Amino acid sequence: MKDNIFVATKQSFCNFLETLSKTYTVVSPYGEENYFFEVFKGKFVFNKYRPVTSLRQFFVPSQQFLGSYFLEKTVKKKPFCIVGVKACDLQSLKIQDYVFLESEIDEEYKNMRDNNIIISSDCIAFKNVCFCVGLDINPYPEELFDLNISLVDDVLLVEVGSLKGKKLIEENQSIFQNARESYLEERTVSRSKLVEEIRRSLKEQGLPSKEILYELVRKGYEKNIWEEEALKCVECGACIMNCPTCHCFLIFDTKEGSYFLRGRIWDGCQYKNFSRVAGGANPLKLRAQRLRNRYIKKFEFFPDRIGIYACTGCGRCIESCIAKIDLREIFRYLYNYNKKSKV
Amino acid sequence: MGIYSPIKAKITKIIEETSAIKTFVFETEKGFSFSTGQFVELTYPGIGEAPFTPSSSPLRKDEFEITIMKVGKVTAFFHNAKVGDVLGLRGPYGRGYPVENFRNKEVLIVGGGVGLAPLRSLIFTLFSSLDDFKKIVICYGARTPQDIVYKSQIKEWRGYKNVHLRLTVDKGDNKWDGNVGVVTTILENLPLKAKEAVGIVCGPPIMMKFTTLKLLEMGILPQNLYLSMEKNMSCGLGKCGHCRLGKYYVCKDGPVFCFEDIKDIHDIWD
Repeated sequence: MKDNIFVATKQSFCNFLETLSKTYTVVSPYGEENYFFEVFKGKFVFNKYRPVTSLRQFFVPSQQFLGSYFLEKTVKKKPFCIVGVKACDLQSLKIQDYVFLESEIDEEYKNMRDNNIIISSDCIAFKNVCFCVGLDINPYPEELFDLNISLVDDVLLVEVGSLKGKKLIEENQSIFQNARESYLEERTVSRSKLVEEIRRSLKEQGLPSKEILYELVRKGYEKNIWEEEALKCVECGACIMNCPTCHCFLIFDTKEGSYFLRGRIWDGCQYKNFSRVAGGANPLKLRAQRLRNRYIKKFEFFPDRIGIYACTGCGRCIESCIAKIDLREIFRYLYNYNKKSKV
Repeated sequence: MGIYSPIKAKITKIIEETSAIKTFVFETEKGFSFSTGQFVELTYPGIGEAPFTPSSSPLRKDEFEITIMKVGKVTAFFHNAKVGDVLGLRGPYGRGYPVENFRNKEVLIVGGGVGLAPLRSLIFTLFSSLDDFKKIVICYGARTPQDIVYKSQIKEWRGYKNVHLRLTVDKGDNKWDGNVGVVTTILENLPLKAKEAVGIVCGPPIMMKFTTLKLLEMGILPQNLYLSMEKNMSCGLGKCGHCRLGKYYVCKDGPVFCFEDIKDIHDIWD
């Protein structure tokens, strides 16, 4: 018996979330297929795969008040408890943590990281755009969660992943029982089964291997693919707004009575004025440059800086693109072009 | 809001440099330190922020100066500010000029337009210990005689020992008796040994490009060449993502870069 794994029935887990609602704004999956996180209202759904939107909104809201200057004004908010977070989104925290906690600490982000609770869950199915396994990310959480839940035999296997998570279990002992060894074995079996299924799907998707993505982008700078694909782009920004690792933001100032307020809103490199300077120069003035910039940032910049890709294989950029610009297709092109040029 | 929070900076004096450029003198409650070439984010309260490199000597502790060209919304608000107004200030950010690397060398400084602002801070720094440098050659180009900044000061620079000054304008007028042409036209036959000299360039992108190419052609080594890169620095902290240049953020790893470190990055002049 492992001392960090427990079981709970769906009903008692629901009661647990009800209890948490007193301290936290509990958000959980709502709906079955293309679903979003919504404020928990007593109905718990075990989500099959990741939601439409990413985890980012709970740590860096799309529009956020940062504070006032010259005159103090504070706003207190209830922390979130986010239920049903999937492994791909958890991985994105490594990027967001690097951006917001490395060297100068972003207080707002740190507060959210310290106070929010993450209850993650295993994927039990996947979308046709999912390619996490191709980036060596398993479809089940192994780190970065407070509690993780897996569905076994219609009960929930609950794994503790942090001190915060441990405390939650201790405070709600009547809900969680120790787990039988057989539950763990079952979890292992269903996890491996899903990994195999995603692997099979990856073969059809034709994504080149993880190891060479960096080189493909580096060597692909002058390739025509960026222009060809960018011709289809309508600059809606869905890829950047849905991406869990996108982190760019714009600081804005405003006035409210005698208070000067500062806030931030999400920004992104697919918008045409993203890199424009006051003098008029704009290093990313063409859509093709901006599309390429996104790949350089995710597959070259972050590996250079911290040794990991800023892509978790969630496939949201593919799913949300109305122009059908497909990351996998771009990599396939770069791969084939590279192969040809070597011959 | 911690790292994004500005302190108060009061305007004590405003100097009109040209029709579009003003220099503002500021004081803060507790003083403000920076090293030459670093930049700050200046806030017009309730309106917005923009990045500037102070144009005064970092050795002056009581006050500092920022030279601002009116080019957009926020700078227009700055231009309407009056003496006594309180603005917001964050910083200093990034890496400035590695003055230590310039010691005992001939230093060539090339500026274009309002790009002389950060260079003036450097020039004052060098002037404070002139004996440490073999020679200082300053080449400055402006669009027209009316667009030359720091007019009265520039004339004085000629008087210093071991300081050489060359000026040019793209387009002269009937009172202008100096050189006419872009800044690269005054880089011929400079009184220095290029192979051992240090080159420092700051100005608009097109000027930076052609000046850098010219200095390399003259024989200045990439490891002795320093550029102030202009990108859209917004947060100043390497977080907001706007100013990426290859594997660098200009706000953290720059704004002053050694050319050797950025020469292989694609499209650095865009």
